[in-house]
Amino acid sequence: MTATTVETRRFAAAAPALRLLLARFPLLVFALLFVYMALGSEFFLEWRNISSILRQSAPDAILAAGLAVVVTAGGDDIVSGGIDISLPAAATLGVGILSDQLVNGRPFVLAMLLAAAAVVAVGLLNAVLVVKVGLTPLLATLASWVAVIGTTKWVINNRRITVDHQFISNVRDGTVLNVPIPAVFALAVLIVFSFWIHRTRFGHRLQASGGNRSAAEISGLNPDYFLARSFVMASLAAVVATLVLTARSSGLSPGIEERLLLDMVLATFVGAAFSFRRVVTVPGAMLGAVLVKALGSGFQLLNVDIFKVGMVKGVLILIVVASAALEAGQRR
Amino acid sequence: MTSTPPSSADTPTAVTTRSGWGRRLVDSLSRYGFVIVFFAFVVFFAVRADAFLNPSNLVNILEGNAVLLIAALAMTLVVASGGIDLSIGIAIDFGGWFAIIAMRDYNLTWASALLVGLLAGAAVGTLNAALVVRLKISPFLATLGTFFIGSSVQQIYTSGGGQVPFREMSESFRSLSTGAVLGIPTEIVLAGTVGLLYFVLLERSVHGKRIHAIGLQRSVASVSGIRVSGYLVFVFIFASATVALSGIILTAGLRQFTPLSGFSYLLDSIAAVFIGASMHPQRRPNVAGTLVGVLFLGVVSNGLNLMGLDFNLRDALEGIILVGALALAFTNRNNRAAEVSI
Repeated sequence: MTATTVETRRFAAAAPALRLLLARFPLLVFALLFVYMALGSEFFLEWRNISSILRQSAPDAILAAGLAVVVTAGGDDIVSGGIDISLPAAATLGVGILSDQLVNGRPFVLAMLLAAAAVVAVGLLNAVLVVKVGLTPLLATLASWVAVIGTTKWVINNRRITVDHQFISNVRDGTVLNVPIPAVFALAVLIVFSFWIHRTRFGHRLQASGGNRSAAEISGLNPDYFLARSFVMASLAAVVATLVLTARSSGLSPGIEERLLLDMVLATFVGAAFSFRRVVTVPGAMLGAVLVKALGSGFQLLNVDIFKVGMVKGVLILIVVASAALEAGQRR
Repeated sequence: MTSTPPSSADTPTAVTTRSGWGRRLVDSLSRYGFVIVFFAFVVFFAVRADAFLNPSNLVNILEGNAVLLIAALAMTLVVASGGIDLSIGIAIDFGGWFAIIAMRDYNLTWASALLVGLLAGAAVGTLNAALVVRLKISPFLATLGTFFIGSSVQQIYTSGGGQVPFREMSESFRSLSTGAVLGIPTEIVLAGTVGLLYFVLLERSVHGKRIHAIGLQRSVASVSGIRVSGYLVFVFIFASATVALSGIILTAGLRQFTPLSGFSYLLDSIAAVFIGASMHPQRRPNVAGTLVGVLFLGVVSNGLNLMGLDFNLRDALEGIILVGALALAFTNRNNRAAEVSI
């Protein structure tokens, strides 16, 4: 304990250059890793690889954007603040319904509307459980996770559904100006959500009620209203993720939701390390999703054992988060 | 959705200042709303599934959820200290895995193997403690990191998740799961002992009071002279060693270790802890509440099973019942449930 205090003091006294280095440490770690990968494999920086990374990371990035909105509105205290762990489950339910309906010959627009309705219903359920019933977001979304996963299994009988549909294949393989279509969807979510949260009066109030609940209440805002809205906004992101996910795996593969959950949470909170104030933001969360995916792809190109990629991910979050915590500690 | 007036959201003191027996009755009814829902389910299953109330089935429920109870108790301790442990699955896996390796590859006795398993769990907890206390990472992210690392370690050394069988394990080790003490299945005895230990530690000792104090207001606890770092180190290590025991019981029952199998206990144990916390007057995680939470999950799962429903439909109903029961039990309560702060 005393060793840390001495160390922290030494850090505080250190030159501003060192402090800047520490503040930018998470980005630096990523940059160094990417340089290493680019040197190790010339394919890494080729557009074909980059566009494949963007294509693969789009669903995670879109879900992370949704989670970032809920965390912004509810506060970044994970146990009592805003969190929505049911997002991957909602998206998986959407994928199941969309795939099932398309296979049964339903027109795309109708199938997508059905899937969207189910996904938004999950968002509304979360909002009701948290604001009306009074459960903490973690407990409420945990319960709806269990319910939605179960419902998905029941609705689609827990089977793999392969979709062979022109529109879905177009989303999977198509590009706009050389940018893969899933990435275009992710970009659209980024622009809409960033504008919504950072450039509108509604967004500023939503940030205020998440930043300090009591202060927001005293200033006449109703934090519950913004929290409820954030769950619905997040479910809209899950609707977009539904389409992109269906394209990514050409239908539904049962059991994708657990991997999605971990990657979404990882991306969102690692993304906080990229923001100036070390808070969860929409762009940070989405950048986090892309960078984590890029690392996985880079290690694969370098022929690193696929089982070790999880280890690298774990160590990485810890480095990024620890440096953020260390920096926050010495700023105080 | 918007009709909730802001003032009603945060009135924790209102409950204590109210008077009149009618109000108090309503208060306690809503406080024990979940217990009432629980008993409604017991009655429902007793009527709909004849076998449900058989003593052997009730023992089945207890035995089948002993492992979850041990994991949920450990989670209760961590949440009481203001943290959360997403890596309990790793400690479950490591406990069983190392115990099997100790017996199979190093020919250790079953008692030493048990110790090795517990130490392996404690090692996971030590990593968590180091990350949280020394590096000041929030428990959620620290234990998420531990989860990724621990999963990866298992995949590397089991060639991607291959099972580690040990059919020839000694009967004494196996009896940790299949044996009985005075006619009571060992699993229940072990879970009961751990439960008693946790009850005394968390609810009846000064250390438990201090751990709750740390969970409520860490800075205040620190100012009032509680050795916060020391307690947090203890909490993470003790919790991980505890869940390692449930991993050991699992491998003893199956005579093999299945990598990454501990993850399935994570969400259930969090659910049990928060169900329990919501029944406490101050919404604190507590041992008795966790027990009720675990029993509820176990009863619902068992009852639906006995009704002979389709496997997939059962999963759906389990989830919907969880949401419905929580909603029913918590509606009409003014303050936000489960004010466990990290």
